[in-house]
Amino acid sequence: MISAENSAGQTGSPVVVTGTSQRFGRNTVLEAIDLAVAPGEVVALLGPSGCGKTTLLRLLAGLSRPTTGSIHIGDQLVADASSGAFVPPERRSIGMVFQDYALWPHMTVAQNVGFPLEMQNIGRAERDARIAEALGMVGLGHVADRQPGTLSGGQQQRVALARAIVSRPRLVLFDEPLSNLDRELRESLVVDIAALLRKLGMTAVYVTHDHGEAFAIADRVAILHSGHILQIDAPEQLVGKPVSPQVVDFLKLGLVLPAEVQNGDLIIRGGKHRLSPPAGLINGSRSGDLFLPRSALRAASADGGAQKGNAISGTVVHSMFRGDGYAVQMRFDQNIAIEMFSATRLGDGTIHDLDISWDRAFWYPHDAAPALSHT
Amino acid sequence: MRLTHLKSRVFGSGGMIFAAVAPVLTILVAFPLLFVVLQAIFPDIARGIFANPFSRFVETLFDKHLIAWTLNTLMLGGSVVLVSSLVAVPLGILRGLFRVPFAGLWDVVFLVPFTIPPYIAALGWIMALQPRGYLEQITGLNFGGFLFSFWGVVFVMTLNVFPVVYFAVSRMVSSIGGRYLEAARVAGCPPMRSFWRITLPLTTPAIAASLLLVFAMSIEEFGTPAALAARSGFLVLVTGIEQRLSDYPIDLPGASLLSVILVLIAMAAFVLQHRIVSRRDFQTVSGKPGANRAAELGVWRIPVVMFFAIIGFLGAVMPILSVVLTASTRTISGGLTADNFSTENFAEIFANSGGAMEALGTSLSLGLGAAVITGILGTMTAYVVVRQRTVSSRILDFLTLMPNTIPGVVVAVGLILAWNQPWLPVTPYNTIGVLVLAYCCLLLPYPVRYANAALRQVSVSLEDAARVAGAGGIKVFFRILMPLIFPSILAAMLLVFAVAARELVATILLAPIGTKTVALFIWRQFEQGSVGMGMAMSVMAIAITMTIPVAVAIWARKQGRLF
Repeated sequence: MISAENSAGQTGSPVVVTGTSQRFGRNTVLEAIDLAVAPGEVVALLGPSGCGKTTLLRLLAGLSRPTTGSIHIGDQLVADASSGAFVPPERRSIGMVFQDYALWPHMTVAQNVGFPLEMQNIGRAERDARIAEALGMVGLGHVADRQPGTLSGGQQQRVALARAIVSRPRLVLFDEPLSNLDRELRESLVVDIAALLRKLGMTAVYVTHDHGEAFAIADRVAILHSGHILQIDAPEQLVGKPVSPQVVDFLKLGLVLPAEVQNGDLIIRGGKHRLSPPAGLINGSRSGDLFLPRSALRAASADGGAQKGNAISGTVVHSMFRGDGYAVQMRFDQNIAIEMFSATRLGDGTIHDLDISWDRAFWYPHDAAPALSHT
Repeated sequence: MRLTHLKSRVFGSGGMIFAAVAPVLTILVAFPLLFVVLQAIFPDIARGIFANPFSRFVETLFDKHLIAWTLNTLMLGGSVVLVSSLVAVPLGILRGLFRVPFAGLWDVVFLVPFTIPPYIAALGWIMALQPRGYLEQITGLNFGGFLFSFWGVVFVMTLNVFPVVYFAVSRMVSSIGGRYLEAARVAGCPPMRSFWRITLPLTTPAIAASLLLVFAMSIEEFGTPAALAARSGFLVLVTGIEQRLSDYPIDLPGASLLSVILVLIAMAAFVLQHRIVSRRDFQTVSGKPGANRAAELGVWRIPVVMFFAIIGFLGAVMPILSVVLTASTRTISGGLTADNFSTENFAEIFANSGGAMEALGTSLSLGLGAAVITGILGTMTAYVVVRQRTVSSRILDFLTLMPNTIPGVVVAVGLILAWNQPWLPVTPYNTIGVLVLAYCCLLLPYPVRYANAALRQVSVSLEDAARVAGAGGIKVFFRILMPLIFPSILAAMLLVFAVAARELVATILLAPIGTKTVALFIWRQFEQGSVGMGMAMSVMAIAITMTIPVAVAIWARKQGRLF
């Protein structure tokens, strides 16, 4: 659908956020955020609602002012709390796609898309050419003269995308742009947006609460949690080496078991399980969280693993047929549960051992700063 | 899906409701309006004769009064629109865009003019501005000449209707505020320019629609032009019609033709207004006033607050203050001195002097009756209209909403003509029943609209779920539908009560001899010069129509989930 034959060679601007906080009264929404986005890079801000991701995006847009810290777009200092410097949104040369499209209902599609160019006093002829080009890129050249209200949600969001990129801004911001659309549309549009941003070499910051969307579109994903960036990495890196149990939890990567260390063994909270990890995983801490990625767990071939401390036994809550196998909900202790994949149906209420591949396990000690230790 | 929903809902079928409602609406609405048109064509229809059609038509049409009054009406409507837009559009835009100090207070203050009947406000202004009125007593300034002129009428009427524009505009502006403006800023548009390019064009339909409503309200208003300008000979269609019917020789064909012209003008305004409101871009904008990030006013804070305060004072405080002062002083000439203040006027009201208590009782029962009848009729009609969607239901819809475009004076003319037909075996004319008919006809659109909107919120599957759970049609109606829509209907009934209890022009024309209502009492006392008692009654009328709805609203809220 989306094509960019004459992709411009130019790249977007770098973005640097330094020590930026946002407080509303006594409520801290963002706490000392540092973030550097390379030219042409796409960074996704991923997190649950209320984590501060939209606030950070609004700071980048200039729709609000930071309480502390500074923001650079390209060479331009656009906001600096200490000096009070602030560049309003209309002078930041950025583009933005809103969750509810925000297409102006009194203008046609072409007038909407052409509006940023009009603001730059670009002449009619060039404007028309670039409107046509941008609409062509999003596959909507044929609706130029329609009113936005007559288009479907997906089409409206494509128009909003064309409006955001038409002036080749230094930075494009996306505020949960696909959350009002249904899943199928979301999946196809996210691929299209990713391709378009890459072809145009645009710097972009993309806010979402959907992992799939973030992984599909971003070079790097920043996980936000109550005003902090927990981790910022390439998607593969996030999944492969999460830095904290919160990241694991948010991305639903596997089993997190809070445990005490006794003579080199791990007593899982609740006391039902005693595990014997290989030396070197624990590194002397007294308590922490054991993270077992899904790939580290395998239905036991023979009984007895649990006795040797190399397996963990859980109760099947429910098996659900998923077409190519079964999604099995297993419960290990009061609040610890995981959804696993199984080729066969496991009976509800039956108890199964899962063998642990210790070479894939992670240990997050409680008593030290959350540092990654990996065997 | 649609097919299963079409038939057999409440009471076995909506057809039964239709059968019950249709004849009532025909008698209530269609019958009197038909006779307005018939009378304009057939001069002798009052005697039940269809002879000599159009024989008086040309003569009446080129009556110099008719042309002058029509022009006066248009001029008055246009001027009220103009002044309202000068006052209310800036107020609404300021309220929508900026953090105006005491914003909540202004919203309440600007609601007050809705609760003051226009004729009472006009009388209040007379007390304040007439020669040796309160303003002259306090400041020595005399604005009597201005008040009793065309622009005086425009001034008083504007203060009565401008809130319509204010609320429409401020609501629209604040719902545009957040997202559409942010999108414009990000697209490179500076604040002032985005006001002209985004905010104003998107607000224009709301401004136009509300101004057309103001126009319609102005041309239908009787009390203000009658009180302020009739004596100086300035008549509009409404006051002209009243004169044709009350001055000898009574001119029925003339009054009918004037009525037809008035209705046509009002209808044109309503049709245009409806067109604008149902436009797609209007509807996509209106609705959710999103996260509103109002801007700061900065140095303009004080001038803006002054602007709000002055208009609020003129619109809400001044007329009430003037009415209350007149009610609580012995004589106007006595002025605002301590020994002139007394509760004498109120005491006389309670002593039933001049039939005051009877008037109060009559008005309250008429208001209650109209509220109950229109509430029941409105609910039934709305049910047929919303759930059936057939041709006949659309006719009902049209019949119930049409009185919206019909001025009270025209309804009165219609009722006079229709119920005086010699062939009628029985007639409510010359009884209090004709007033009930008039109020019900005039005010039916409110319950219908409210019930309509409420019913649309109730998903058909809620009824289906109740049916599946074993409830019969009547049970579904009373256990599921009524609890969900009753708050809306109650609100509409309160509105009907408040308006009916103080209606003026139809009451003047229709009330049987000897019958007194609050409005008639105030009007006659004023004409006879015993202004103090009239104003005391006005205070009570305002107090009742303000407090009863509030009391019922509080009571309904206390009932919690029941409503």
